[in-house]
Amino acid sequence: MSDFAIEATQLVKKFPARPGTGDKSAKTESAPAPKKKLWPFGKKEPKAMFTAVNGVDLQIQRGEIFGLLGPNGAGKSTTIRMLCTLLEPTSGTARVNGFDIVKQANDVRRSLGTLLAGERSIYWKLSGRENLEYFAALYHIPQAIAKKRVEELIERMELKDRANELVEKYSTGMRQRVAIAKALLARPPILLLDEPTLGLDPQAARRLRELIAELKQEGHTILLTTHYMEEADQLSDRIGIIDTGKVIALDTPAGLKRHIEQKEVIKLEVTGWHTEIGDKIKSIAGIENLMSRQQGEADMWEVNMQAHNSRTAIPRIVEYISGNGTRLVNMNIVKPSLEDVFINLTGKALRD
Amino acid sequence: METSLTPRSLGQPGFISDVRAFYAILRREWTIFRRYPSWIIALLIWPLIFPMMYILTGRALSGIDGSGLAVFTKLTGATDFIGYIVIGTTVWMWQNIVLWDVGFALRNEQMRGTLESNWLSPTWRFSYLLGHTGPQLISMTMFILITAIEFGLIFSVKLNGSAWLALLVMLVSIPAIYGLGFAFASIVITAKEAHTFVFLVRGLVMIFCGITFPVSLLPGWMQSIANWLPQTYMIRAMRSAAFANASFTELLPDLKALLLFGAFWLTLGYLLFTWMERRARQTGAIGQY
Repeated sequence: MSDFAIEATQLVKKFPARPGTGDKSAKTESAPAPKKKLWPFGKKEPKAMFTAVNGVDLQIQRGEIFGLLGPNGAGKSTTIRMLCTLLEPTSGTARVNGFDIVKQANDVRRSLGTLLAGERSIYWKLSGRENLEYFAALYHIPQAIAKKRVEELIERMELKDRANELVEKYSTGMRQRVAIAKALLARPPILLLDEPTLGLDPQAARRLRELIAELKQEGHTILLTTHYMEEADQLSDRIGIIDTGKVIALDTPAGLKRHIEQKEVIKLEVTGWHTEIGDKIKSIAGIENLMSRQQGEADMWEVNMQAHNSRTAIPRIVEYISGNGTRLVNMNIVKPSLEDVFINLTGKALRD
Repeated sequence: METSLTPRSLGQPGFISDVRAFYAILRREWTIFRRYPSWIIALLIWPLIFPMMYILTGRALSGIDGSGLAVFTKLTGATDFIGYIVIGTTVWMWQNIVLWDVGFALRNEQMRGTLESNWLSPTWRFSYLLGHTGPQLISMTMFILITAIEFGLIFSVKLNGSAWLALLVMLVSIPAIYGLGFAFASIVITAKEAHTFVFLVRGLVMIFCGITFPVSLLPGWMQSIANWLPQTYMIRAMRSAAFANASFTELLPDLKALLLFGAFWLTLGYLLFTWMERRARQTGAIGQY
């Protein structure tokens, strides 16, 4: 058996580029310049290709929680879809639980519990129990074992009182719990959880994070993708940051933060913000990665930036903000978070 | 790093497991089908509505005293024009419903988001398509039974032949009808939209297979096309078995043709499915809505 639960080498996935979709985050390779056609019904011109994943290398240890972070379109879902055999890589190889994702796809599927598309991955016209019994059969769990396992998971996911009700009557959190129970049914050694807490209320998300930590204790290897930095920070043993189809950083959460610990993060709350002020602040020596976003409907803006020396920068920042209808409401200087590491590496916020 | 013993998967692959998975798919489909109760109304009304359109046209054309029917009987050999029409329209509706139900089965799952979660399991993937045919066959059998009862009671249509031979023709027709549905389902997953194709196929059946008139009325080139459509043989054999008291030997050429069509369409359906599966892995089509 391989030493690694998941091992990917130079994984590449290209799709034909769709015109008008923007494909903003990953590379679009234009087709070679078309030769002048003499005959209009000849061979088709080669399509332009869009590279969603561009040479990803991963080695995930058994029993590890590995967080894969990246903004929308960075390539994390494509990577996960290749690892769970829904997609075939254009080039490169990957092994899951020691099995090749192309040549031994069915063995890979037996080794995996996957949470993709969350609540949409289960049947709303079946009850929670019926869903689990159905998927237990698909995962080839013998009937007697399946019966016990379904009951065990219904209990564990706190669905007992409503297990016989149709899923369409459940809350989002309950549906997500059924989807997670489905992933756990066959007790697979490896779990791929794609945005497991997306759309959950804070309490449900907290309970799910506790469950993920428990699953690690039970020996499962977990590959987790998330938009939530705190979640990745809290749960992951190691984190890979993926952007434009490439893993641009890979370390423990503490290790990643060490890269920018000599910097400070200045967080401002401002009313009447406009981009010209941002441009002026960016020109201050030692200020990097300025990000601004409007909070709610009011004219309140959150402005974050990284500074090598906040003491020298702050007087000038305050000077630029004051006046012209702009008002500084709040200011904090904090230690860099994982989000700041991300911004430092990619130049954009995770939700961009 | 803290590690525990790696959990062992509870799944036990093998033939029995695949059979159980297939049964689970059948049961799931049947359970979901029952939870949309509007099918009962459709099942009662549709067998009457569609043929009625042609029956009333026939009545109008044959005159109030039915004198025009003599020409029809001379052309078709059928004395009961209602029974003649009902067989044709029922075969048409069977194929039409299979194209919508089986043809769009995977597409509907794709749009719901459940296709991916099925695809992620180690079950033989063709089972997902096969599994849709079980409940569909049950509902179609009910549809045909209700058609027979309704026309027997309301229009006094009487069988003048062997019900068993008519049933045999239906059984022999299943591979061709559902094979076309499988081929169609695979194309729909890739093309995403295939309503035009459904309209084309059912239009071809309506015009070329003689659902309300004898194929011999068609010009020669149209008859040649009709010979390549299994529904032509189904309709002819069903009418012969149910109303012309045809023997098994008389039906044999049509039955053989239907079996050949069945083998062709099932093979093509399976090949297209495996092509679609392979293509979907390259393009990511399974997860696209």
